[in-house]
Amino acid sequence: MNPLADVVTPSPLVLDGLVVGAILFALGVVGILARRNLIVMFLCAELMLQGISVSLVSWSRHHGDWGGHVLVIFVLTVAACEAAVALVFVLQAFARTGRLDSAAWQSLRESNLSRTIDHELPAIDTVPLKFPKLSPAGVEPAADEDAALEREHV
Amino acid sequence: MNDLSPSTLLVLVPLLPLVGAILTVALGRVLGPRAHLPAIAGTAAAFVVAVMLLTGMAREVGVGTTGHDHAAKPVEMVTTLWEWATVGDAAATGDAGSAARSFSIPVALRLDPLTATLLVIITGVGLLVAIYSIGYMHDDPGYPRFFALVSVFVFSMSMLVMASNFLLVYVFWEAVGACSYLLIGFWFTKPEAAKAAKKAFLVNRIGDFGLAVATFLLWMTYGTLNFHDTTLADGTLVPGILGATRLADASAYVGGVVGTAICLLFLLAACGKSAQLPLHVWLPDAMEGPTPASSLIHAATMVTAGIYLVARTAPLFEACPGALTLVSIVGATTALVAALIGTVQNDLKRVLAYSTISQLGYMFASLGTGTLLGFTAAIFHLVTHAFFKALLFMGAGSVMHSMGGVIDMRRFGGLRRIMPITATTFLIGSLALAGVAPFAGFFSKDEILASLHSRGWPDAHGEHHEAAPAGGHAATATPFHLAFHVASVTPDAAQLAGGTRGSALDALNAPATWRLLFWMSLVTAALTAFYTFRAVFMTFTGPTRVPEEAGHHAHESPPSMTIPLVILAALAAVSGWWLFSTHSLASFLASTPSFTAPSVASTATPPAFHWDLAIQGTLAAAIGIVVAALGHLGRRSDGPQMERFLGPLETLFANRFFFDQIYSALIVKPLELIATLAALVDRHVIDGLVDAIARVPAGLGAVVRHLQSGLVQRYALAGVIGTLLIVLALVARAMG
Amino acid sequence: MIASILPSISPGTLLAGGVTATAASLWLLLPGGRSGAADRTARWLGWLIGIVALASFIATGHRLGNVGEEAVFLTVALVAVISGAATVVSRSPVYAAIWFAMALAGVSGVLLVLGGQFLGVATIVVYAGAILVMFLFVLMLAQPAGLAPYDRVSNEPLLAAVAGAVLLGILSLSIGRLTAEPPACCLMGGTKAALLADSPAAEPAAAAGIDMLADNHVARLGGELFGRHLLAVEVAGVLLLVALIGSIAIVSRGAADAESAAARRAMP
Repeated sequence: MNPLADVVTPSPLVLDGLVVGAILFALGVVGILARRNLIVMFLCAELMLQGISVSLVSWSRHHGDWGGHVLVIFVLTVAACEAAVALVFVLQAFARTGRLDSAAWQSLRESNLSRTIDHELPAIDTVPLKFPKLSPAGVEPAADEDAALEREHV
Repeated sequence: MNDLSPSTLLVLVPLLPLVGAILTVALGRVLGPRAHLPAIAGTAAAFVVAVMLLTGMAREVGVGTTGHDHAAKPVEMVTTLWEWATVGDAAATGDAGSAARSFSIPVALRLDPLTATLLVIITGVGLLVAIYSIGYMHDDPGYPRFFALVSVFVFSMSMLVMASNFLLVYVFWEAVGACSYLLIGFWFTKPEAAKAAKKAFLVNRIGDFGLAVATFLLWMTYGTLNFHDTTLADGTLVPGILGATRLADASAYVGGVVGTAICLLFLLAACGKSAQLPLHVWLPDAMEGPTPASSLIHAATMVTAGIYLVARTAPLFEACPGALTLVSIVGATTALVAALIGTVQNDLKRVLAYSTISQLGYMFASLGTGTLLGFTAAIFHLVTHAFFKALLFMGAGSVMHSMGGVIDMRRFGGLRRIMPITATTFLIGSLALAGVAPFAGFFSKDEILASLHSRGWPDAHGEHHEAAPAGGHAATATPFHLAFHVASVTPDAAQLAGGTRGSALDALNAPATWRLLFWMSLVTAALTAFYTFRAVFMTFTGPTRVPEEAGHHAHESPPSMTIPLVILAALAAVSGWWLFSTHSLASFLASTPSFTAPSVASTATPPAFHWDLAIQGTLAAAIGIVVAALGHLGRRSDGPQMERFLGPLETLFANRFFFDQIYSALIVKPLELIATLAALVDRHVIDGLVDAIARVPAGLGAVVRHLQSGLVQRYALAGVIGTLLIVLALVARAMG
Repeated sequence: MIASILPSISPGTLLAGGVTATAASLWLLLPGGRSGAADRTARWLGWLIGIVALASFIATGHRLGNVGEEAVFLTVALVAVISGAATVVSRSPVYAAIWFAMALAGVSGVLLVLGGQFLGVATIVVYAGAILVMFLFVLMLAQPAGLAPYDRVSNEPLLAAVAGAVLLGILSLSIGRLTAEPPACCLMGGTKAALLADSPAAEPAAAAGIDMLADNHVARLGGELFGRHLLAVEVAGVLLLVALIGSIAIVSRGAADAESAAARRAMP
């Protein structure tokens, strides 16, 4: 008598859901490890949480009960709290260093190592800033078709 | 003696100075200027006991009794205090012919005529030196330490001559060497004194090495290290090396290569301790020590340990005639060379130091003849030399004390007017040293020359002595009453009859060698007289000059210093004649067990007073004194010196035959080179290796440190990679 | 269950290939030290290889019952995955936030397909509606004009890409083995039955098909939540309160340091 006879193979939907969750999670991991911008890092953390949510709901469907759903609700809650507090921290960090760079915080390194600084930053494909040319006051300037279409680089 | 048994007295002799030393060390600070009291009390008490022992032993030997025909029976008394060390099964028996192979060292003390004589000398001269030191070391900050060291020395030297086991002899041989080191380096803050002490110790070490190896060989050859016979628990008799059993057997001593090796190693040890060629270099430098120390240990007692050793082991030496001859050759050569060097020394103490070396050479020359006359003459000379050399050193110390530490003879002169007692006693001592009748040195030197002469011209002595017994005992002509009638037996035949095996050195044992040694000794006698009186005239005659260091010291020394001088002068004047004419010393010594061995005793000759030798000796001394007087009597001591007579030879003598320079180049410099190399290797290779090993963790750390970059994402990356590796491992394991 | 399209390739090779392709594409896509033309080429190449990797996942994935279901799921899944990838690799953080919104839409669709009606909507409402907006506000406050230097480089892109790809590979492997015979050691017997017995309204697994509009979905979820997990709900409420207060506290203390930090703005 096989003691595991009651274990059911997950359905294809569940398996696909698990795969999607795994992919999202892995993408989030890569993002957290690689990106330097603090905001993008947190976005990738949220992406990881999304992947977890998908996996949990898949399992919940497989088992046929609400456990996964409930957990996802709590994950949502905690994600919200985390986002709030973390963003406050990011703002504090920005206030101290003036930039959202995770590499700005290197003080905990070994005392005789030097700061890791970026070398050879790739050049930006910068579009020169186009400032609107204001005509003297009182006269509506002629509409510039091209300028209207362009937007400032974000 | 009545209520105290002899063995108790025997133990008291070393014990009392030792207690004195301990008390001096313990109470030195408390006693302050009276810190000499325990030491002097201990030494004085030991002297009294030693005299008691001597008289008791003399009574037992029967000295002075009539009956010239009886054989000298060996007299000894051995007391075993405790078993120091026992290794192996004491009851195990070894192969036939050797004693049990267990190793057992008893702390045994012995008393026999030789020991008793030396004990009196050691404690007596020690006492006089201690009294002298009260005045000499008066203001020295190390006052208690000096007396403690002198007491310890008296203890060690007494134990050395009383030890009845070769290992114990070695122990106290080292102990006297250590005392010598401590006393030479007494003023250790002075670099020359420290260096001299080190030099003395190291040169002695070479001799000590010889003694150690000789001890090993003795153990291997004879199976025991005891002098006396011992009995094991099961009743087996273990014959001692110098015990009655072995002494009675003429063939019991090993000759050949092993025997010669043992004897030569003893000779090496004696050369080291008694400052003979080539290990004599430490004694002149040892004059850096305080003069009383020089007087005690470098004139009278410690340097005579070598003489004692060779005399004690006479039966072993008799089995190797080549070794004996070498002893004489070394002795006579040393005497001559030291006398030559002494003629150009300007430091009074150095003159006396070379004189000591020279006189010790005489004693060795006498010992090496292998005759009973030679042995007893050597001991006789040891006794008289102790008196007059200690006297001379103390006189020099008195001069040095008055002259504010200056001892260069060229800087003072005519001191007899300021220091009459010192001058008179010094003169008496010099006359004794030069060998002028009727002072002590004359008789003893005469005996030495006689022993050498008897080996060089054996026939002359043979005829001479055959006549004597036939004519009955002419008491005036034959003061020495020795018992044996085998007077016509020549020493060579006696040794051959002893059944020894020859060695390569025996080729030296030819009459021609002995004649050469005789003439060398005669020349040395002349030189001795010369340099002694040169020193006397330079110091005490001529215009009175005092160096400025003397200050207000330039007066006669205090009684604590002059009284010992007077006592010793009296002894130097009288003892020779007394001991010679009452025939006491020789007959007393003949009962020493070592000298009753057939190989030694058979060489006994009823002696005569050798007029021809006496005349030759006195002539040599007179020549020396006259030449010295021509050069220095009445003149300023810083006037023209020996240079104009000697020319280039003077450089040779003044540089002490370049022994120090040769040793420095051959031995010291290579050792220094090795030491420097070793230091370099230690500092760069070994330390470098250790430092390299120490740098490995630092290097590893420097590499690993880069992980701690402070960038949090890198930490997270490391964590993720680690987790993945673990999971991969688990998955791989799960999948098989 | 390997798709019949690729019968000749072994699963192991396919997995390895997929992992390698994922790693390569991510490495190429992540902002690195390339500039100008090289950067653009890398990005095109990265997307291309990424599509290939995605295709391998799809090909080895499991076919659902009918084509319509398959098409819907594939659409929303692709939206989620591609938007997620775009979030990670966008140079501009604002673009990343917008792509994240898109990813949320995709995730919401996936959740709805999987039967989580409440959660699908809740994701949009809470995440896209509140959290994302908060992110955008912070960006507005803190993001310098133009691309900051730190947006143009990544921290160890190769190692991160490889780590992520290996992680994905392990997870895929594990998911793939779910269809195989489970090893005797792993599962406790009777777990399934116990779970089924406990849940007040157990949905039989894999029995029904797609269950998008089941009755009383939210009511039943609410009953479960406030029934079995009441304590957790309360704690979650407290957590929210604490987060709120904490944020305010930090901000108010940080306001005092604002002036001193102004001077440090000039630091590079």
